[in-house]
Amino acid sequence: MADVVLTNLNKQFDSFTAVEDMNLSIEQGEFVSLLGPSGCGKTTTLRMLAGLEFCTSGEIRIGERVVNDVAPGERDIAMVFQSYALYPHMSVENNIAYPLKKRGVPKSERGAMVAKTAEMLHLTELLNRKPRQLSGGQQQRVALGRALVRDPKVFLLDEPLSNLDAKLRGYMRAELVQLHNRLGRTMVYVTHDQLEAMTMSNRIAIMEGGRLQQFAPPQDVYREPANRFVASFIGTPGMNLIDGELRQQGGTWWFEAPELKIEARGLGPSAQAGKVCLGIRPESITLGTGPYSGAVQLVEQTGHENIVAVNIGGDIRLTGRAPATVIPRFGETIQFSIDPDASHFFAAGPAGIRLNVPRSAESADKWNPAEAAVNLQEAQL
Amino acid sequence: MSRPKQSVLERQYSILGIMLIAPTVIVFCAVIVYPLVSAIYLSLFEIFTPTLEGEWVGLENYRTLLSKGEFWVALRTNLIWTVGTLTLQILFGVGMALVLHQNIWFRSLARSLILFPYFVSTVVAVLVWKWLFNDLYGIVNHLLMTAGLIDFPIDYLGTMPNAMISVILVGAWKYFPFVVIAVLARLQTIPDHLYEAARIDGAGPISRFFDITLPQLREVLVVIIMLRAIWDFKEFDLIFLLTGGGPVTSTQTLPLLVYKEAFKLNQMGMASAYAVLMMLIMLVFMLLYIRKTRSEEN
Amino acid sequence: MARRIAFNIFAWSIVLMVAFPLFWMVVTSVKPQPELFRRPPTFLPEVWTFEHYAKLLFDTKFMTYFRNSVILSVSTTAIVIVIATIGAYSLVRFKYRGRESLAFLVLFTYLLPSVVLILPLYLMIVQLGMSNTIFSLVIAYTTFALPYALWLLRSFMQGIPEDLESAALVDGASRMGAFRDIILPQLLPGIISTALFTFILSWNEYLYALVLVNSDNARPLTTGVMNMLISSFNIEWSLLMAASVMMSVPLIIAFAFLQSYLTRGFGAGGMKG
Repeated sequence: MADVVLTNLNKQFDSFTAVEDMNLSIEQGEFVSLLGPSGCGKTTTLRMLAGLEFCTSGEIRIGERVVNDVAPGERDIAMVFQSYALYPHMSVENNIAYPLKKRGVPKSERGAMVAKTAEMLHLTELLNRKPRQLSGGQQQRVALGRALVRDPKVFLLDEPLSNLDAKLRGYMRAELVQLHNRLGRTMVYVTHDQLEAMTMSNRIAIMEGGRLQQFAPPQDVYREPANRFVASFIGTPGMNLIDGELRQQGGTWWFEAPELKIEARGLGPSAQAGKVCLGIRPESITLGTGPYSGAVQLVEQTGHENIVAVNIGGDIRLTGRAPATVIPRFGETIQFSIDPDASHFFAAGPAGIRLNVPRSAESADKWNPAEAAVNLQEAQL
Repeated sequence: MSRPKQSVLERQYSILGIMLIAPTVIVFCAVIVYPLVSAIYLSLFEIFTPTLEGEWVGLENYRTLLSKGEFWVALRTNLIWTVGTLTLQILFGVGMALVLHQNIWFRSLARSLILFPYFVSTVVAVLVWKWLFNDLYGIVNHLLMTAGLIDFPIDYLGTMPNAMISVILVGAWKYFPFVVIAVLARLQTIPDHLYEAARIDGAGPISRFFDITLPQLREVLVVIIMLRAIWDFKEFDLIFLLTGGGPVTSTQTLPLLVYKEAFKLNQMGMASAYAVLMMLIMLVFMLLYIRKTRSEEN
Repeated sequence: MARRIAFNIFAWSIVLMVAFPLFWMVVTSVKPQPELFRRPPTFLPEVWTFEHYAKLLFDTKFMTYFRNSVILSVSTTAIVIVIATIGAYSLVRFKYRGRESLAFLVLFTYLLPSVVLILPLYLMIVQLGMSNTIFSLVIAYTTFALPYALWLLRSFMQGIPEDLESAALVDGASRMGAFRDIILPQLLPGIISTALFTFILSWNEYLYALVLVNSDNARPLTTGVMNMLISSFNIEWSLLMAASVMMSVPLIIAFAFLQSYLTRGFGAGGMKG
């Protein structure tokens, strides 16, 4: 049975809608990321889940209970804040012990529980220090410890890694995943970093403008993004997006833009002529040979590969990947080919619903072909 | 759009919040709101202070005081005092802040010493300055005469324009540290790299002050000037203790007039009328100040 | 290098000029009476004497006034701090209708002339039969001290990260529990600053004491000293200066201990109304 259920959740601030019609159902033991750019509503959603913000309307259920009116301390949750929010005047030990104290756990037991948690997080030598004497990484572990010590039903994490330097972040990512595997508890994780979401989650809930865009496992989100926004948000370097038209010639569909013409596959029987947006991931572009060509605008050498931006006409640039040994010169004309089976199509316009036929039967029920056709028509009006 | 239904928890929090602010509200209503409203009410009566007996006179008090010269003279005196002392407070305050912003010897000691005039009681300040200003034995006259600047001792508080000038000077001495602290706090938040960039561009200290420091200070200065103007305008203790409003009424500002009317002439009702008018005059500045602070907060 | 020294000397001359009156106050208080009237006046006393202090403490009502001031200021500060602390918590961390209007009201009262409030307050106190008591002064002082304290504490409260309270709530604390466990310890420097500031305001207040209290039993230092010494035919400056020094002693002590607290507190809330 689902552990956390958000139903028709709305949050309105005066004139500004932060969260609109949010519906989410998280299974027990799942690691779910709330992913999106700043201002998309992910933190607000998490805070409503925690009870730190009140919902304008909608229902929040944790376990069997509707918790809208339940105080944060009684929802059986724990939260790790982006700023860690360690109590500055208390020692590490007292910080971790605080939730136990609030629950009335007797002093004798508290010590043991705190010690066990501290050991698990390698904090035992730091128990007597104050937060300001700790490094960022250590503070973060204390915040984790404070959350873990209570063994709650649901863990909420609000961008806990964003204040760490890149190397430490990578390390902590792995630690968190291992922790999740070991504990098997439900975790809801807010982040703006799509790499974090992709590597850590069972499912990702992508949000933008207060609305849920897609809720699916990482691979689905990557290979079958539900709309233009998701497609451009997931993946680095980002997906190439080109506006153009769908036209049928003979028995095949073609995508035509002033700069590019490519066979349009994967549209299924409901394909219709009209304006669309083509999406191609950089790894689907093979540089060096092929029917297309363009002028090299930018070469970024990352060490293990090169990211090359090619101008194909007008202002349109395609970004592709090349092996590290291939280093094109600026301005040089380069050939490339595109894998037609790897193209994505989205309806024209900002909503940009995905038009491709789903690749697997499973993802079929998350995607409605009829709806896509209607959206394509609406977009053309 | 109707307000969405609050959850029980939200309402509980609101109630707690209201309970916590309740004591403040009660105090405010009892000792601020009520007296304010009463003052207006009282001004419509003629009341004999010692016995507190009164009779209704309506707007008669106002008619009398507006036609009598004393009100307008006091207003003019008040303005002279306010503008005079405020100007000095700002000039010295900003200047001193700039000096104290530099790395001088024993800087914290210097800062503490500068603060003393502000935190010392007005009574103490007045006593000390009266002693300093003493015509026969005061050190000020002695120093000036030794320096050859004057031939005879000056009467600082007993003649005009000396009395007003003295009062303005003492007021400046007492209150300029407030400006120093406020400006210093702001100066300390101006990033060094602004000055470094200017220096690289070849700007000298004077142009650095006008082009970088002053614009950064502008916001704080406006607030400080408004606040100090309001506080200086309503100042009672300093002037009352220094000159009592004298000689005759030449340093009698509106607050002193109110006090005199209520407790020397025993006309509580009339005094209230004076007070209400004074409030109305100040109201404009008070509202301006509040609007400015609120807009800065938002 | 010479410029730096010149500037330092310039800066310190001004500081010393500003501080001179207070230096002169101390010097005068330890000079024997005859030396005061020496022409030309001596800068440093030729003879140091504490006779004026002795006379002040033993021959006058000074200690009574001092006692009254202490009771008055401590009581006012205690009451004001309690009310203002929970009030500031309410204004900053709670939402309810009229909250913004209240903040506006606080700001407004901060600016009111006491000479306006004193008249009806006087009436009220007399009608309640409370005139000439320290209690009436405590009530009156709370009038003007509360807005300042509230504004300062509100400023400090805004400086405490909201996350701390949120974490405490999630950890199972009630709102007042979070206030007690987490916010109060963080607020302590701010409370101390505000308490000092309030104490100083009460200690130095003159007008309310002048109007509301006539008898020596309840007179605080400010009106007491003015009354006691100016009423005599010969103004005894040495005694007055000694009284001034003694009146300033609590201020200097508070200052010395918590100098950094004061400037910080002032900076946070003092100028922004």
